[in-house]
Amino acid sequence: MKIISQTFKTYKSAKIKPVWCPGCGDYGVLSALDKTFKTLEFKPEDIAIVSGIGCSGRFSHYFNSYSLHGTHGRALPTATGLKTVRPDLNVITIGGDGDGLSIGGGHIAHAARKNVDLTYIILDNNVYGMTKGQSSPTTPLDYKTKTAPYGVYEESLNPIAMFLAYNIGYIARTTSTDSKGMLSILTEAIQHKGFSMVYIMSPCVTYSVLPYAKLKEIVKPLPEEHDTSDKLSAFKYAYSDEHMYTGVFYKEEKTSLDERLKEVFNIAKISKTTSEIMAEFK
Amino acid sequence: MGKISKPKLKSKIDFIIRVAGEGGEGVMSCGELFAKAVARTSYHVFTFITYPTEMKGGYAMTQIRIRDITIYSMGSFVDCMVVFNQEAYDKSISSLKEGGILIYDPEFTKIDESGNFVKYPIPFSQISVDTIGRALGKNVVVLGILSHIYGLAHPGLEKLINDRYGSKGKKVVEGNIKALKAGADAAKTIGVTTIMDLSKSEPANEEYMFISGNQAVALGAIAAGCRFSAGYPLTPSTSIFETLSKFLPLVGGRTIQMEDEIAAISAVIGASFGGEKVITPTSGPGLQLMAEQMSLASMLELPIVIVDVQRGGPSTGLPTKTEQGDMKFAVYGSAGESPRIILAPTGVEDTFYQTIRAFNLAEKYQMPVILLTDQSIGYRKATVKMPDFNKIFMVDQFDRKTKVKIPNAEHIDLVQRQIPTEDELKNYKRYKNTKTGISPIARPGTPGGQYLATGLEHDEYGKTNQGPENHLMMSKKRFRKLEQVSLAFERNPMETYGDPHVQIGIMGWGSTEGAIREARYLAEAAGVKVRHIHPHTISPLPEQQISKFLHRLKHLILVEENLTGQFAHFIKAKFGVKPIEVHKCEGMPFTPDEIFNAIMKVARIADEDNITNI
Ligand SMILES: Cc1ncc(C[n+]2csc(CCOP(=O)(O)OP(=O)(O)O)c2C)c(N)n1
Ligand code: SF4
Ligand SMILES: [Mg+2]
Repeated sequence: MKIISQTFKTYKSAKIKPVWCPGCGDYGVLSALDKTFKTLEFKPEDIAIVSGIGCSGRFSHYFNSYSLHGTHGRALPTATGLKTVRPDLNVITIGGDGDGLSIGGGHIAHAARKNVDLTYIILDNNVYGMTKGQSSPTTPLDYKTKTAPYGVYEESLNPIAMFLAYNIGYIARTTSTDSKGMLSILTEAIQHKGFSMVYIMSPCVTYSVLPYAKLKEIVKPLPEEHDTSDKLSAFKYAYSDEHMYTGVFYKEEKTSLDERLKEVFNIAKISKTTSEIMAEFK
Repeated sequence: MGKISKPKLKSKIDFIIRVAGEGGEGVMSCGELFAKAVARTSYHVFTFITYPTEMKGGYAMTQIRIRDITIYSMGSFVDCMVVFNQEAYDKSISSLKEGGILIYDPEFTKIDESGNFVKYPIPFSQISVDTIGRALGKNVVVLGILSHIYGLAHPGLEKLINDRYGSKGKKVVEGNIKALKAGADAAKTIGVTTIMDLSKSEPANEEYMFISGNQAVALGAIAAGCRFSAGYPLTPSTSIFETLSKFLPLVGGRTIQMEDEIAAISAVIGASFGGEKVITPTSGPGLQLMAEQMSLASMLELPIVIVDVQRGGPSTGLPTKTEQGDMKFAVYGSAGESPRIILAPTGVEDTFYQTIRAFNLAEKYQMPVILLTDQSIGYRKATVKMPDFNKIFMVDQFDRKTKVKIPNAEHIDLVQRQIPTEDELKNYKRYKNTKTGISPIARPGTPGGQYLATGLEHDEYGKTNQGPENHLMMSKKRFRKLEQVSLAFERNPMETYGDPHVQIGIMGWGSTEGAIREARYLAEAAGVKVRHIHPHTISPLPEQQISKFLHRLKHLILVEENLTGQFAHFIKAKFGVKPIEVHKCEGMPFTPDEIFNAIMKVARIADEDNITNI
């Protein structure tokens, strides 16, 4: 695997520099994604990044790509529309745990059903970073946040199990501290045909719900013997109470939305002129 | 002013048929088959339907108007009425003309014998049972009766029956054809008079489509070059998305059904960012869900077309009924100030061209365009002249000068989105603060055109900038485009009709145009002249044109289908006038007669004014 592209030294924007807090996990993800683009030798003009709102939502600002920074929770359906009309682009969608699992949580099931060929990266810091420290769907029970000053009163989500239940064809979890793991997973995910989900634990240092030390303690790579085509095994590791497993949980090649719509075109024998269509209404 | 009487319209042939019954009884298919058969002749056809929200039961009716000249509204009173049951009779009978024809099934309907109508009790339910063993075919029996009265040839009807029921198998088709014949035979035996012979009328000499307002949106979009739609089913807009789903793939386009309206508008924003012309159809409840994303499209300066087929509101309201209740939300429904354009088509044919216009405006001015139709237009079917496809002109992507014409049957400009020149790409400013406010959009894939489209306030490059001068400059830039739109609208021909010198004026918007027009003809025939203005562009309004219209006007009648007078608020605030407001909030469109009565009332007031002035 080539690591450095011959053509492009960096895909990061020359004009816009990140404004994250020093030590924020998102920096690590930014360089991993940059390296991934280099590895894949994409042309910058063929990359489209659609991001949500949040600290993590700022990703679209920091690349020299076609970038869309929309509204809170709507990155996924926005990217779905883009990829549907522009299958030639490499579409990456990025957002936080609040953006993707709370306000935008309803969209994941449907992007999964469509199997739209894009990579969705969720950066989980177990908190609402941008709005300064409120509970997110992954803040642990009883943890005290600004909106749960007496402790969080909801169970936290198990996103990996949810993605498995949604039949997503590529599901992996990694951490912002594991540059090698991120590079290999992101590269594989982007090349995967259909919808791919890359879940990255990316700690917030300002509202430190999951400090780096704690993350290091609980994280464990999926064992070698885990078969990525075995969904039940994947569920088992996703539900582990002991460890937060990282690596590729599940992989399955499925027909993508683009392929299905192309089939539709074949059924319809594609070409008709506007006037021929109107003639059907005579 | 003399005695007020109701004169006849000038056309030789002009009659209205209503078939009324219960939802699920085949009222719609009976009416539609009849209308389709007539649409093949040289006559104009206009249908209006209303039905309950529930799948079965409740009052449903279809009304068909047939005329030798252009039809503007569903008309006021019915010439021939078929009622399937007691409720249909009770609800419809007041709409039947004196001396009109009443056809009913005596088994299900008791009528008031004293009514001055030509009454034909025909047991169509029993006839259906006797013919095909089930009462289900009674709607086709009725079609047979109507074919006898209006002289519609059976081969044509049989073909239409075959088209409609063919997929249900040969038996069903044969049964229906038998029922058709049984109906016609029964009418003959009983001695029902044949009042005209439509089979002898000339076939249409021009090419016509017979389409609904909703189909007109879908076809207009396809003609405009739209190649992507995302939608979520919502009555009464759904058939737009259905039609697009059927036909867009045939011209190389794509449609995707989304999980909700927020996702639908998000998808069209994404696709527009990708460079496609896009549309998402919905109704009021969906428009509300789309609000945040409409502002986003304004901020990103991306062209999108939204169609709101208004239903009765608020909330789930009256899903299958009509109302002009979403105007204020469409115009003002935004947090922060986001430019957008609102167009209001007036009828089926107009909807086709206004849809094309909506795309042209969206692409040229890079903002959301909302097409405000309503159930009465969406479900109405009318004969529409086939546009001439040799008269379509592409506006080049580098052309920044051409004045785009309002599309019509004679001339259709198709605007292509402006793209940056090679020179501009050297230091590409996606949001360049130009004189017109319009700045070219790079299509993803174009080397050197990479940019950031963000909903955060940004500078000319797209980089976020929350500075005070920048926010003012960019807000002005976005609104400068709307000023350009305004200027363009003022240059259009005035949308006024009638004698420009008279003192009574009438104003409406959207689907009331036809009823107002016919009311004006009725008033003129009764000796009262009125001038009529009907802007298609609700926002921005052609303000100078309207001021000109209002000048020296003594009485302004403002007609709209809602309770509170949304358009009137708008007009009063902008022009400081005190209109006489005529509202209807019943889920049903105005009839010409209702508006005619309002005009005559105002004419009486005007008369008294004149007397006191002396
Ligand atoms: C409609 C809407 N509601 C609320 C917000 C406020 N808001 C901005 S970011 C955010 C949460 C972000 O959390 P997350 O997605 O986890 O991103 P992070 O900042 O943690 O990376 C919220 C609630 C918004 N921008 N828009
Ligand atoms: S608040 Fe947290 S998530 Fe946001 S930039 Fe700072 S460290 Fe990162
Ligand atoms: Mg977060």
